[in-house]
Amino acid sequence: MEGYNEILSVLILLTSFVLMANKRVKSYIRTFRLQSALIALTAGIMGIRSVINEGSYDVLVICIIIVVLKVIYIPNLLHKTFASVEYKVEKDFYFNIPLLILICCGLVVFTYFSISRVAGISEGEINSAVVNSVSLVLIGLFFMICRKKAIGQIVGFLVIENGLFVTAMFSTNGMPFIVDMGIFIDIITAVLIMGIIVFKINDEFDSIDINKLKNLRG
Amino acid sequence: MSNILYFMMQFITILLIAPLVNGIIGKVKALTQKRRGAPLLQMYFDLYKQCRKSAVVSETSSWIFKAAPYIVFSSAAAAALLVPATTLLAPEGFAGDIILMVYLLALGRFFMTLAGLDTGSTFGGMGSSREAMISSLMEPSILVSVFTLGLVAGTTSVFGIMHAMNRLAVPLAQPVFILIALSILIIIIAETSRIPVDDPATHLELTMVHEAMILEYSGRHLALMELGASIKQLVFITLLVNIFLPLDQFITLTGVAAIAVSLLLYLIKVVFVAVIIAIIEVGTVKFRFFSVPNLAALSFILAFIGFLQYFVLGR
Amino acid sequence: MDLFTAVNLLRCSILLFITSASLALILLKWHKLCNIVSNIICITASIFGISGSLIQLLAGGEKILIAAIKPAIPILSFDIVLDRLSAFFVLGLCVLVLCVSIYSIGYVSHYYGKRNVGLFNFLYSTFILSMFLVMTAGNAVFFFIAWEAMAVLSYYLVVFESEQVEKQRAGTLYIIMTHLGTALLMIAFMMMYSYTGSFDLAGSSAAIPASARNILFLLFLIGFGVKAGVIPVHIWLPYAHPAAPGNVSALMSGIMIKTAVYGLLRFVLVYLGVENTWWGVTILVVGMASAVLGVAYAFVEKNIKKLLAYSSIENIGIIFMGLGIAFIAFSQKNGTIGALALAASLFHTFNHTLFKGGLFLGAGSIHYSTHTINMEQLGGLIKKMPVTAVFMLGGALSISAIVPFNGFASEWLTLQSIFGSILPGNAALNILAILSVAALAIAGALAAATFVKLFGISFLGLGRTEQADHAKEVPAVMNVGTGVLIVLCLILGLFPMLFLKLTDKLVVELAGQSIIGQLKGPFLFAGYLEQATGNAISPFMIFVALIVVILGVLLVLRLVGGKYIERKYGTWDCGFEALNSRMQYTATGFSKPVEIVFRMLFRPSRELKVEGEHLYHPESMDYKVSTEPIFEKYIYAPVLQLVQAVSKKTKYAIQTGSVHRYLMYIFVAVLVLLLYNRIA
Repeated sequence: MEGYNEILSVLILLTSFVLMANKRVKSYIRTFRLQSALIALTAGIMGIRSVINEGSYDVLVICIIIVVLKVIYIPNLLHKTFASVEYKVEKDFYFNIPLLILICCGLVVFTYFSISRVAGISEGEINSAVVNSVSLVLIGLFFMICRKKAIGQIVGFLVIENGLFVTAMFSTNGMPFIVDMGIFIDIITAVLIMGIIVFKINDEFDSIDINKLKNLRG
Repeated sequence: MSNILYFMMQFITILLIAPLVNGIIGKVKALTQKRRGAPLLQMYFDLYKQCRKSAVVSETSSWIFKAAPYIVFSSAAAAALLVPATTLLAPEGFAGDIILMVYLLALGRFFMTLAGLDTGSTFGGMGSSREAMISSLMEPSILVSVFTLGLVAGTTSVFGIMHAMNRLAVPLAQPVFILIALSILIIIIAETSRIPVDDPATHLELTMVHEAMILEYSGRHLALMELGASIKQLVFITLLVNIFLPLDQFITLTGVAAIAVSLLLYLIKVVFVAVIIAIIEVGTVKFRFFSVPNLAALSFILAFIGFLQYFVLGR
Repeated sequence: MDLFTAVNLLRCSILLFITSASLALILLKWHKLCNIVSNIICITASIFGISGSLIQLLAGGEKILIAAIKPAIPILSFDIVLDRLSAFFVLGLCVLVLCVSIYSIGYVSHYYGKRNVGLFNFLYSTFILSMFLVMTAGNAVFFFIAWEAMAVLSYYLVVFESEQVEKQRAGTLYIIMTHLGTALLMIAFMMMYSYTGSFDLAGSSAAIPASARNILFLLFLIGFGVKAGVIPVHIWLPYAHPAAPGNVSALMSGIMIKTAVYGLLRFVLVYLGVENTWWGVTILVVGMASAVLGVAYAFVEKNIKKLLAYSSIENIGIIFMGLGIAFIAFSQKNGTIGALALAASLFHTFNHTLFKGGLFLGAGSIHYSTHTINMEQLGGLIKKMPVTAVFMLGGALSISAIVPFNGFASEWLTLQSIFGSILPGNAALNILAILSVAALAIAGALAAATFVKLFGISFLGLGRTEQADHAKEVPAVMNVGTGVLIVLCLILGLFPMLFLKLTDKLVVELAGQSIIGQLKGPFLFAGYLEQATGNAISPFMIFVALIVVILGVLLVLRLVGGKYIERKYGTWDCGFEALNSRMQYTATGFSKPVEIVFRMLFRPSRELKVEGEHLYHPESMDYKVSTEPIFEKYIYAPVLQLVQAVSKKTKYAIQTGSVHRYLMYIFVAVLVLLLYNRIA
């Protein structure tokens, strides 16, 4: 059972590669749901261990919240949003997918290269789980950059948050409970607002391609 | 007790001599112009007559107009108290600060310029405005010269400065004192409304400054204003003579004789400076008003170089 | 009973200010009630504040902790601490607030039914509270929060009458300039923390290396200088102070700009400690420039409040000159002169609070009854508003450093400290000192001229417009507020020792030496040197002498001239018999000679339009004089133009409007940071 977090972190990282390789908006949401489920699983294992070892239920509660929020509620919300905007077949990315995945690999190497020195995280030997989860943050950001449609931005944002969450979990067994709660509330608000903005963009430009926002500048 | 006695004597001396200085200057000017001129004591007669006349007060004016003459006079008189006429008689520890003297005269000037504005007359405003400019330009050189003198003596007490000067044999032999004396001479001319800065003898609106401010005054108010101005003039002259021509140390007498001799000496020195001022008045023409800054700058530069001579180069 | 300890009194004071603010909001609907209740609570609060700070100044120990609030974030502590330095400034604040609040009971009445009085009183009370906290914050972060609150609240008060475009502009300029200063302060506090690992103001600064100290000093000087309004970062002050309502401008000019002096003392003198001579020299030079230029601009101003605002720049300059001399003396290990200059500077700070507060309240009274503060539209007010006139005259005399008012006492002390600082040997410093004497002299003389102009043009002569002719005396309660301040000016002027005794412990704490021992006699002032007993002057005795002379003159005149007979007659009109108010000297005319002499400062231009055939018999003439705002035009405008030009060029290069581009910036920044982390 000791190596579970290494394995899970690699799986989570893999989902982000899958996300990068996706072509359709619907599959983004599906992949995100899978990623969240894996994170919930990680939190669940960690939660049970902490119940056994320390008698603290915090992580377990967080696991349940993740399931409710990220596995069920947000993906459904995104589905609904996407279904209600006019569907147009448009190319959603600037570069072709193999190139994107190669860049992602580069990002992981880069993270490995830079994280190996951060004091307090690695302490001599490199914690590969942390490297994987920090790469997740970078990949999320990169995902936002390379997708044109607004839903892609939301998913990218959520991946960044996932990355931050697993980083915290793998390095220090999770942030303080109150901080996590705050972040969750933040995310719900952000996703709701972004959902509304997607409608607005769609109304204005008959498309959810955020590149068209350029026309707004003065 | 001796302090109060001294103050009384000082006050009376200056009050009595002040109009005489005007008389002397007038007489010298007249003589150089081949006129006989008014009697030496003319100003005393004028003052007496003005005191007995009723005063005409402008309908526009307020209480400031009537209060100003008293304040102008008392500020000049209070300044006079701070400047010992004879260092021989002033008691030790005589509290007269030279900076205070400058600021006391500013009190008088403040109310005189206000009074000029009080009647709503154009002349008054003009005089006040010009006086404000001249005094602002002269102030730096006054304070710098006063400061330099104070630094030489190590105190800002007028008495202390004069006392220190008495210890020197001939102050005017040192370059610093020549420069400061010249600077103070220019200040006297500007502050007492003399040619080439102002002309006390004319009522032409193009030229007048001091006269314009007191144009609306009559009766006892005018008397106080004029006496105040002449006291102010004498205060500056006293400062000049007692600092740069200290002769008191040569008096070895005691008692009443000492008082008499030192007062006589003081009178002679004052007359000497009055003649110099008269000669300057005769020998120059009135400057264009906007040339006055040049004079002020000259006075400031003299005082400043005096300071440099003593404090920077001299040591 | 130990109920009346400084701690309890000050706690009460703070709580009452909070109460006043909240009651103002609760009573929003009832304008009159709200105003009266809120101001009366402020008055009570300031009385508590005065007594508390007096106790601390006179009898208190090192410092007292009024309240300690511990938030969750570890490096922060919201400690409200009162040591003697804070107590001195709190005293100034509370004295001013006492008078201004009395005044406001009457003044705010012209807002009844027209504006949101509740909001106004809320802002007013919280503004006072924020200044209180600035002066008592025990922690740099807390100080910063209070400082920022003060800036924002005063901004809202400046733009309170926001329908007027020029007030909006004034507010915008103010908030931009003040944030420039705030930004520098923030950097300074960060530096403090990075070297010492603590935001505590009482902590030691020993861990800061010498080069960082110099940078910190400059940051503090500019950061606080903006708030103080020293030249050349003064440009907001002449716009913001006049734009605020009368009572608020009194607070802003009276005490808000003094928080900058507090900041300099607290952070530079107490926290860093003065080691380099060039610090003092810089402050002195800045002070000289502010004193001379401030009063020069004040002199040519026609708007009463703008004139007062420029004169605040001058007085801050004089305060800075005192500070500069003190800092130079400290760096040369000359404690006596340092103590004297520091006392002079503190004295002038307090005096300026009193008389500038009084003058701004007076200006508010003029506006209240004539609805204008343009001198060219006033005149003859001394007959319509006799009480206001007397107080304005008192304020004018104080600020012009006329004997026996308090302005003289502090200027005299400043001059004495400069006198003492001139010691044989250091040629460059001596030349600087004598130049500062000249600067002080010209500033003093021009200040007197400025206030002759202010009083003479607006209160004396004939009314220039109907508004001036129909002016009425303001409600008595307003005059009480102004009057208390002016009477305090006179008392401090007559008995300056009162003040020096009050601040003696503070001066000892800051400078390590007392100056009281060097001053002789019960009411006497004396010079710096122990042996120079002759330097002693006594304003009270001078006052007595003046009175005695005046009484004597009255007696003699009675004896010589007989009974005083007076005839009333029109002003001499050269036989023209049609003298009217338009023929009086105007404010513009009054300051014209100085404007011409110092034309390089003002760059005046004139424009004469003549209609009709002949130049000497025209149908109509139009004469216009204007001066250029030198600093705006030659320093700020070029910088602004440069920034605009650069931003125009780069606008579409950096700000493309593409979300992806923005995300890319973030991405690259993150990568660079990670790389930096690896390499460093």
